[in-house]
Amino acid sequence: MNKQTNSDLAIEARALVKRYSAEVLAVDRVDLCIQANTIYALLGPNGAGKTTTISMLTTLLKPTSGSARVAGFDVVQQAARVRQRIGVTFQEMVLDDELTGRDVLDYHGRLYGQSRAERQTRAAELLALVELQDAADRQARTYSGGMKRRLELARALMTTPQVLFLDEPTLGLDPQTRTRIWEYIRNLKEQSGLTVLMTTHYMDEAEALADRAGIIDLGHLVIEGTPGELIAQMGADTIRIVGRGERDTFVAQIRALPFAQTVTTGEDVIQIGVDSGSRRLVEVASLATTSNFVIEDVSMTKPSLGDVFLKYTGHQLRDTASPVSPNGASIWIRK
Amino acid sequence: MTATITLWSKHMKKFLANPMEMFGLAIQPILWVVLYGVGMKSMMSPAMPGTGNTYITFMVPGIVALSALGGAVGGGSVWLTERLRGIVKEYLVAPIPRLSVLMGNALSTMTKSLFQAVVILVVGVLMGARLAPNPLGWLGGMALVAAFGLGFSGIALGMASSTDNPGVYHSMIMLLNLPLLFLSNALYPLESLPTWMRIGASINPTSYVIDGIRQMMLQDGAAMTGGKVLPLWLCFGVVAAFAALGMAMAYKAFRRSVK
Repeated sequence: MNKQTNSDLAIEARALVKRYSAEVLAVDRVDLCIQANTIYALLGPNGAGKTTTISMLTTLLKPTSGSARVAGFDVVQQAARVRQRIGVTFQEMVLDDELTGRDVLDYHGRLYGQSRAERQTRAAELLALVELQDAADRQARTYSGGMKRRLELARALMTTPQVLFLDEPTLGLDPQTRTRIWEYIRNLKEQSGLTVLMTTHYMDEAEALADRAGIIDLGHLVIEGTPGELIAQMGADTIRIVGRGERDTFVAQIRALPFAQTVTTGEDVIQIGVDSGSRRLVEVASLATTSNFVIEDVSMTKPSLGDVFLKYTGHQLRDTASPVSPNGASIWIRK
Repeated sequence: MTATITLWSKHMKKFLANPMEMFGLAIQPILWVVLYGVGMKSMMSPAMPGTGNTYITFMVPGIVALSALGGAVGGGSVWLTERLRGIVKEYLVAPIPRLSVLMGNALSTMTKSLFQAVVILVVGVLMGARLAPNPLGWLGGMALVAAFGLGFSGIALGMASSTDNPGVYHSMIMLLNLPLLFLSNALYPLESLPTWMRIGASINPTSYVIDGIRQMMLQDGAAMTGGKVLPLWLCFGVVAAFAALGMAMAYKAFRRSVK
């Protein structure tokens, strides 16, 4: 099952477009090339087009234009073959929770045509992997949110997929559960040669897991690279300044500084990427007085993926729903 | 086919694991037999004209049809729940034909209808209804109930595909419930009705199921209506057409809702 097809790209999307209506362009010419046996994180604010992209790659939605291949097969022309080779967890909880955990896995395996013996072995393995053995024969509605998420992960793995799609796999989970899920995903990639495409809001998740990350905003893939590369281009250190006064003048002056590699402005934060924070801090601060800007708070950090995100999307990482696309869930439940 | 059976078996498992659902669906028709049936029986002369039957025997086929309807409603709401909770997406990313999702639902819905019908027959017999001593007739009657259940599953699934609101779904279904029962030969012989009601009843497929069941499954079924019964071929024909129509409706709505 894990044997690779001729190409070593597990996911290959070319100029993928999804337009829901004349006004709503959810995904706008996205190109994605994801190597087999890597973890790729798709980052972006709500409504950026992450779920729509995943929906097209998992054959749930037909692209308006462009093409995509998953596990070597075209998502439109060869949808059935793609479906046999992928595992999916959805952004919202999708569980028949009147069934026991074991039954959820069993019925899933049956849908994919697995034999009884195969299903039993596989379910036992996976229940052990996600540490649900003790709860396996209880109705899933008695599970906590984290247990349900783990069961969903097990279900996605039930048919030993080549490519795993995880849409916000740790949304709303406590830190311990998140760390556990990260471990499962990391081990799976290493042990079974799996390719994972995940979306997330959490930058730490992408930093911890992803081999490569792409930032998507307003339907465009704005930048991609390894988390290390993305962070490196922000400069060695980041100086963050919060204050009030002639902000525009101040920012303009900073931009003119030769050592300011990047300057990003958020709603109330100014971020400056510099070669060395401790050396440049004083110079930056001294500019404030000449431009009538009062610094209220200043801090210095090593840049993180969050800073990269801020630079490219201009959004802070909070739940600001963009009006660009409807949320993923409602696409499926149309009147 | 495998996928259809898988979904059917999953729905049945959930149905059997949830006695409240079964009970909830069965209680209304049971009350019809027990309360209405007994009440009417004591008001009317003890035996139906020309037979040794009581009113209970007369009305049981109608309530069997009503309970099949209840089963269909239950099946439709299972589908609505699966849509609203996104479980449908699990099916849609699986390598199974789209149609098997609908077929699995229709099959489990029909099974629930049959199950309800059997419960009502048993209750009816306990209350004094007399069955014809002909197992072939019982099979024929059950075939009618199954086809009727399938037709109604289609309508219920179609409605469940075209609304996102469980309240709307249930009130749409309820709207159908009463006219289908009263505008039929379920509770009174067609002969005794004014013309406008008789016309209404004769375009109501429920009348054909009931007439068929009455003739085939119950003791002196034809005699109870004074010998004025619809030909059996017509009963089967109308009910089969109804089943086909219901499924076509479900298919259309289903295609729209899952694309």
